[in-house]
Amino acid sequence: MKRYIMLIFILLCSLFSIHCSSETNKFTIISGSENKSLEELVKEFGKKNGYDVEIHYKGSVDIMLELESNSISGDAVWPANSFWLALGDKQKKVKNAKSIMTSPVVLGVKAGLAQKLGLIDKTVNVQDILKLVEEKKLKFMMTSATQSNSGASLYLSLLYALLENPDVITKEDLNRADLKERIKLIFSGVNRSSESSGFLKELFLSHPEGFDAMVNYEALIIETNLELEKRGLEPLHVIYIENTTAMSDSPLGYIHRNEPKKEEFFEKLQDYLLSEQTQNTITSYGRRTGVSGVSSKTDTGIFNPNWGISTDKILTAMRVPAPEVIKEALTLYQTTLRKPSLTVYCLDFSGSMAGSGEQQLKEAMKTLLLQDTASKYLLQAAPNDITIVIPFSDRTFASMRVNGNDKTALLELFNKINEKKPTGGTDIYSPVIIALDKIIKENTETNIPAIVLMTDGQSNTGRNFQALAEHWRRAGIDIPVFSILFGEADEKQLKEIASLTSGGVFDGRTNLITAFRKAKGQN
Amino acid sequence: MKQKLVGIIILSIIIAAGLVIYVASSGTKKTIVVKGYVGGEKAGLLESEDFKKILKDKFGVIIDYTKVGSIEMARETKTTNIDFLWPSNMIALEIFKESNKKLVKSENIFNSPIVLYSWDTVVGSEEPGKETGLIKAGIVQKINGTYYIVDMPRLIQTIMEGKKWSDLNINELYGKVNVMCTDPVKSNSGNIFAGLLANLLNNEDVVDESLIDKHMPNILSFFKRLGYMESSSGDLFEQYLRTGVGAKPLIVGYENQMVEFATKYKDYWPNVKEKVRILYPVPTIWSSHPLIALTPAGTELIKILSDEEIQQFAWEKHGFRTGLIGVQNNPKVLEVVGIPEKIEKVMQMPSAKVMDKIIKALEGK
Repeated sequence: MKRYIMLIFILLCSLFSIHCSSETNKFTIISGSENKSLEELVKEFGKKNGYDVEIHYKGSVDIMLELESNSISGDAVWPANSFWLALGDKQKKVKNAKSIMTSPVVLGVKAGLAQKLGLIDKTVNVQDILKLVEEKKLKFMMTSATQSNSGASLYLSLLYALLENPDVITKEDLNRADLKERIKLIFSGVNRSSESSGFLKELFLSHPEGFDAMVNYEALIIETNLELEKRGLEPLHVIYIENTTAMSDSPLGYIHRNEPKKEEFFEKLQDYLLSEQTQNTITSYGRRTGVSGVSSKTDTGIFNPNWGISTDKILTAMRVPAPEVIKEALTLYQTTLRKPSLTVYCLDFSGSMAGSGEQQLKEAMKTLLLQDTASKYLLQAAPNDITIVIPFSDRTFASMRVNGNDKTALLELFNKINEKKPTGGTDIYSPVIIALDKIIKENTETNIPAIVLMTDGQSNTGRNFQALAEHWRRAGIDIPVFSILFGEADEKQLKEIASLTSGGVFDGRTNLITAFRKAKGQN
Repeated sequence: MKQKLVGIIILSIIIAAGLVIYVASSGTKKTIVVKGYVGGEKAGLLESEDFKKILKDKFGVIIDYTKVGSIEMARETKTTNIDFLWPSNMIALEIFKESNKKLVKSENIFNSPIVLYSWDTVVGSEEPGKETGLIKAGIVQKINGTYYIVDMPRLIQTIMEGKKWSDLNINELYGKVNVMCTDPVKSNSGNIFAGLLANLLNNEDVVDESLIDKHMPNILSFFKRLGYMESSSGDLFEQYLRTGVGAKPLIVGYENQMVEFATKYKDYWPNVKEKVRILYPVPTIWSSHPLIALTPAGTELIKILSDEEIQQFAWEKHGFRTGLIGVQNNPKVLEVVGIPEKIEKVMQMPSAKVMDKIIKALEGK
């Protein structure tokens, strides 16, 4: 009898699957931004198998936090490094994670400069980089170590190399004063930060004349170079830091939720990505595949030796420290070691913000300014950070400022924001111009500047884009404006500002707090 | 409503058709489903379509399994409605026996020795007068085409003394000599390696309860050097292959992992085989795969898995050496270079009680 019941059950299941396959099912992957170039490949496969695959891009820290709090959405995760799964997946939700490809984190320096600095055809160690930064000969872009895997990997491998490749980094090592000084010195060479590797690449390409060097995945430096050569511009020369190179291994894992159909599709997708043919395609995108990352079909047009790329070179990888050491190292980066930030928030308090907008804005600022919540997202302030807030509507209100990371001072700043009531029209340009003036007066050599502009309406009064553009150009400093789109804001106006300043636009309409966190993650 | 009715009619037709097919086929052969918990190391074999086919066609058996850690299944898992347990070490059997749960029969089905995986650059050349790498250091020797770690104590000592790769004249690698293994608390291969390490520290003799405390500080210091440890042998092996010599110069694994890889990726294997090295510790320890039968169906499965065709398939495609007494595997049929016919020097794992002490110490309890 039992068997018959089983049989009926199986038949019901198959009937259900017939029914389902006529419709498209949704399958969501939460992925690092570096996988953007593979999106088409994955979607195409999904389509052929009756699945509409959506990829949501998130930073590695976000993926780790969501796994940790068991609030991860989606059906699969695809971070850049398996250690994020090890750190976050305490509940053992991720199943069958397999590395799809690898890519080392490298330093890309403009070919001419690399030549001048004697970095070509030579063994380059962390100590060499340290010296160049100390002598102010090298400045570079890198992602935030607390928001993005490439930044975190670089940071941890720098620690490892400066400790002269120990067995493993320990908590005691992290407290060494000499180590902290040297790491700070290297990070003093950072001239642009970002919350994601993909976005960093885009920033570089939006303004290639403005930057000399970038730390990113080999794969993304390859993508950058292909684009630069297309535009007839100087490529970046890839430098592998000899005594330690971080290697991303991009594991794709299924989030276990007892959905056999989805799991089956996941396995098919994973097999497809790991099949010889797809692995060759992935190699053609500049990712390393195959044993030891050396595929037999490496195209020298992609892995171009003229760009300094070598797949034969043995890359010594950092030994991954214990999870609690990684966490402590990340906190240390955020509160002590990173280059301090100088952030000016221009916040819209025009009449249309009244109600939910006002509430969400205040909630977002609370997340960033109250150190207990900020630290949850590894966004807490450091002693030399500068935070300035300029509320505006059709007029610009008095600015408020906190130097450093004093909890009470930041709480007071939030309380002042909390008291503000929305009223009047919208002029987004005047507060940004004032913010520029404030930044110009500060030392932008010691602090990475950024303006975060949040608005919910079209600028219809006061100053205009031309006035801002003139002002920005006259300043002659790289000051990006990151705008947060909300309510009825004019995307065109914000994009214009982003393109002028090599900034960005984040959509806050679905989640304002997330958009603010992204904007803050930029410096 | 109309759609619903159509659905019901279709469903009824399908059910009726299904019943006809079922009744017709059940007349010819009876298929039984045997349920059990299995150590993840055997998933590759159990998932193989060819293997499933032999089981079903020849013996009328379908294995319905759930992957569970070897120690966990013996210690904690409920065994109601389960026909068998199939862990990947003898310790699990020992623990199970002590738990007073009902055991119908047990027999070792497969063996696979613990090996170290490395790379050409690390192991070096054996050319007389021009030796390099671990061979030059006298740690590894190539005998009849197989690489043996003839001086395990020296390798362990080199690691404990914090020697660098450059001290062994392996100048391509930075940093200190080390062997990566999985977390002994969570994973079987790491657990067996911890047992081997304890024995090696005990003058290459099986360590007992009276002596383990003396060696504990060294064991703890060894594992502390490893930092983050993977919790699955499969994941570690995959990372070894993926990230290469710079990231994973030397790892602990099972012999059968490379065989499985080589047979699965036949086209690819020729490129790989020149680079990878399988090193056999002397002595090594077996990862054994005893099947613990809890029901008559479980006992039947022991009989089936001891069948010659099954044993041959498991060896040729998945690299599991036979666990049956008096049966030999022929390495000639395998394409993996450097697999010896016999594993000569094998030592016992420390007892379950000793291993329990080691695990608790590693957990910091």
